[in-house]
Amino acid sequence: MLEKVFLILTVVLAIISISTTKLRRAVIYLGLFSLVISFTYLLYSAPDVAIAEAIIGSALSTILYLVALKKFQVFTIYYTNYDYNEINYDHVTVRRGQILKDIEKFYVDREMEPQIIYTTENFKHILKTKNYDLLIYQKHSDFYIYGFEKDYQLDAIEGYFMNEDHGNLDINIIRCKEGEYNDA
Amino acid sequence: MNNNSEIIARITGLLYPFIIIFGVYIILNGHITPGGGFQGGAVLASVFISRYLVYPFEDIKIKSLQLAEKLLFFSIIMIPILFLFTGFNYSAGQANSYYLIGMNLLIGFKVCFGLTIIFFRFVFYEGEK
Repeated sequence: MLEKVFLILTVVLAIISISTTKLRRAVIYLGLFSLVISFTYLLYSAPDVAIAEAIIGSALSTILYLVALKKFQVFTIYYTNYDYNEINYDHVTVRRGQILKDIEKFYVDREMEPQIIYTTENFKHILKTKNYDLLIYQKHSDFYIYGFEKDYQLDAIEGYFMNEDHGNLDINIIRCKEGEYNDA
Repeated sequence: MNNNSEIIARITGLLYPFIIIFGVYIILNGHITPGGGFQGGAVLASVFISRYLVYPFEDIKIKSLQLAEKLLFFSIIMIPILFLFTGFNYSAGQANSYYLIGMNLLIGFKVCFGLTIIFFRFVFYEGEK
């Protein structure tokens, strides 16, 4: 009985891991899959194989995949807000989530790996010191998107936002030169 | 991975001795319980690999690891040949279990060094821009 439950669980985990959009989640699901299938090997009385699967599948290959993802260059997106604690207009909050979702979807459609970092630091500080690919700064209902001039994705993002309706939110895209503000 | 987390560093430091003891246990009891040289070596290699998560700098001498791996491989080939052709295994029954333990140890260290070399080559040399 227990074997069948774990066998079905392996199939479910395998399907989840190939159908997720983010690679980082897929790696974690693969590690889980390895753990579950190693327990199934144990139930079928093959402890030797179970040890090898548990070590190689969930420890070594997970770390290798994570390092490979880091080398694959993840796009870093910083999000910061002008008055973080005072925002309580519902429509602005909903729209903000919508915009972040749109940007994430934009990168996922182009098979890139977005990584959004929410921060409460001042945007000028981030502009100067952090190593970012895109910086989204919100002041009330105005959005400022900072990106690099040489980044050809920025034009695509602008076109993407022009085509879609975003209600009463203003979106400004600002292009920085390489190393104009940024020291990192 | 780029900014070192204090929690991960402390917990990994606490876990190191247990991982090493577990790996050596798997290798030494390989001939009577499940496990053996390969599995124990992989556990020992995970010490070096999880070390990278805490301290991602290149201070491991890959050249000397390679030399040690080659020497181990040579002895893994030579010891069975000597053991079989001298006829030592017929004369002493107790020697067989010592032989198994010794070979498991050699294989375990060879797998450990090999996986470590593969991992650090991949991390520090491949895909550099």
